[in-house]
Amino acid sequence: MAFPGVVSMDLKFSRADRSFRDEARAWLNANLPRERRPHSGDAMRQFDLAWQRRQFEGGWAGVSWPEEYGGRGLSLTRQLIWHEEYARADAPDNHLCFVALNHAGPTLIARGTEAQKRDHLSKILRGEVIWCQGFSEPNSGSDLASLRTQARIEGDHLIVNGSKIWTSHGHLSDWQELLVRTDAEAPKHKGISWLICDMKSPGITLRPIEIMTSPNQVHFVQCFYDDVRIPLGNVVGEINDGWNVAMSTLGFERGTAQVRDQIRYAYLVEKMICEAQRRLGSDSPLSNDEIGARLAQLRADMAAARAMTYMVTSRADAGLQDSRSSLMRAMVGDTQQRARRLALDILGPDALENREDDDWVYYYLRSFSITIAAGTSQIQRNIIGERVLGLPR
Amino acid sequence: MNFLLSDEQTQIVDSLASFLNDRAPVSRFRPPAPQIGNADRELWPQVGELGFLGIALPESQGGIGFGAAEEMLAYREFGRHLLSPSILGLTLTARLAAKTDSPLLEAALTGHLRVGLANARGSVRLGGECSGDFHLFDAKDAPWVLVCGEAGAALLRRSDFSEVAAVLGTDHVIGLERGRLAAASPEIWVDAATEPVQARAQLLLAAYAVGIAEATRDMAVEYAKNRQQFGKPIGSFQAVKHLCADMAIRTEAALCQVIFAGLIQAEEHAGVDFHTVAAKLVAVDAALKNAASNIQVHGAIGFTAETDAHSYLKRAHLIEQLWGDSRQQRQRMLAAAFPD
Repeated sequence: MAFPGVVSMDLKFSRADRSFRDEARAWLNANLPRERRPHSGDAMRQFDLAWQRRQFEGGWAGVSWPEEYGGRGLSLTRQLIWHEEYARADAPDNHLCFVALNHAGPTLIARGTEAQKRDHLSKILRGEVIWCQGFSEPNSGSDLASLRTQARIEGDHLIVNGSKIWTSHGHLSDWQELLVRTDAEAPKHKGISWLICDMKSPGITLRPIEIMTSPNQVHFVQCFYDDVRIPLGNVVGEINDGWNVAMSTLGFERGTAQVRDQIRYAYLVEKMICEAQRRLGSDSPLSNDEIGARLAQLRADMAAARAMTYMVTSRADAGLQDSRSSLMRAMVGDTQQRARRLALDILGPDALENREDDDWVYYYLRSFSITIAAGTSQIQRNIIGERVLGLPR
Repeated sequence: MNFLLSDEQTQIVDSLASFLNDRAPVSRFRPPAPQIGNADRELWPQVGELGFLGIALPESQGGIGFGAAEEMLAYREFGRHLLSPSILGLTLTARLAAKTDSPLLEAALTGHLRVGLANARGSVRLGGECSGDFHLFDAKDAPWVLVCGEAGAALLRRSDFSEVAAVLGTDHVIGLERGRLAAASPEIWVDAATEPVQARAQLLLAAYAVGIAEATRDMAVEYAKNRQQFGKPIGSFQAVKHLCADMAIRTEAALCQVIFAGLIQAEEHAGVDFHTVAAKLVAVDAALKNAASNIQVHGAIGFTAETDAHSYLKRAHLIEQLWGDSRQQRQRMLAAAFPD
């Protein structure tokens, strides 16, 4: 395997990269929100949008997005540096902006018309809008391409009927990236279109879905579409080419943004080591304990997960983005889930208390989604087997 | 920041791989080849001539002038080909000799020195005086024996060991003996505080383990594509496909962490201990699990000596034990300073 154009394997950051890092660090120190991020509802929406707006005004939104749409037009390495500093500063994640920043936005950049880019991209970076995802359906989960929410063309509109599910924060969103069936006769991957859907459109109703973490936690909604009219100008890519549009950017969910999480988790493991030693007491060294052995292996695996992100970033910067990022995602998911489980074992009997002031139990319960969301770990392994290793379907 | 090989590094790896494919295919251990001991030492002068025994030493000391990253890439190839780990005896002796201006340097660099390896059996003392019980690997006809530990690295004479007795090795293509040291003074002793030989040794062992993980992944995938049951290649079944996917995930994790640790050593960043120990833990885990999965994917033929699957497994266990097994590495991992 030759990688033309690559100078040398190194961990060095250029002088410009280092000064970018210094600027990011200084800005974050001066601008971190002081108030705690609310956990739900409109207060959470207002918080996330305000924090996004502040990042935009500071020049830190869309580091690797093209300049003409409000981004900085910098390399993925710079984007990675920003995420690293963001996590080191323990800045709050504005989860509500995640779909717009890491999925819908990049999809529009790759496949949107000029009008679509103009209408949406800078609003995303400026923290004016929340996007959600309308992909899964009650009967189309892992087999996403079997989706049946139907759209028929009437004049210059599409009329949508059907239902989407597992839409995170759908009740707090302005726009939705919506996959619909526009040709029921075509093979299943070839009759799908990717639409920009206004969540305030008449005919949309939402059913909140509580999740397993704690009582009254609404994270998802199910969306019902009853003759919802969407302008034809909101089709991204060609009619019936929506599967390719969706696939062109799924990788963004698995890209450099991961490094934020990885650094947070590395710090979590350090906290877990302290807490485990504190609970054991000074007479009993952690290194002789079963929990100590698991923590040590976890520390090593966390380091490796981060190294995998560096590899993915290196490949992407060299124009080699490919399905190998699914290896990273699988490793990261398993390792994070293991960390959350081990945190529970450190708590011992206190793990039976789901306390608001200590989020280890909450995030343990939450961690079950890590190996389900955005393609289960089993689907990931199919992708690895078939696209990375070349095994037959 | 860049984790990809440069053109030059790719050429280095390709030239080594083609030499080893030609001269050291893993099939060299299959019956009717002699089952105890190996002839890899006959390759050392050629490996030396190609420059790999001093690849990371400066040219002024007879080396090639590359660094930890290139040495790590070479050991990954050694692992893929199950080269006798006693080659570490030469690489590390050259390093020790260069550090101490020893006259043994040239013979080590040219591959004309015979150096076996010693590994502690239980608690031993290493330093200006060494004592304790050891295993000796590929040391039968070697006048020299190299041992590494957290305190540092020592080059001993084989004649320093008493009560030497041959044992059938689990990895039987590597000669194995037991021996005892009683207050032996090494020919060369380099303290860990002076030169982190142990960290380099662990990095190279980790790279070797990555080679095993890669080779077993490739062997299992190849078999899963070709072997037919129920009228289909077995790799089309998810049970087998996911075994292979797990092998690929572990291998990528190990490779990336070994590259990370190699670059940390090469560029002298903080966190050498943290990242090197992590590399050995992750890579050995990948080698052991992949070697086991490879046997499973092969089914009954994997349980025989007619495939090479068992050779990788046995070598992975040997590499795990060398100079600190995973239990000890986990203790070191817990004690290492966390590099922010």
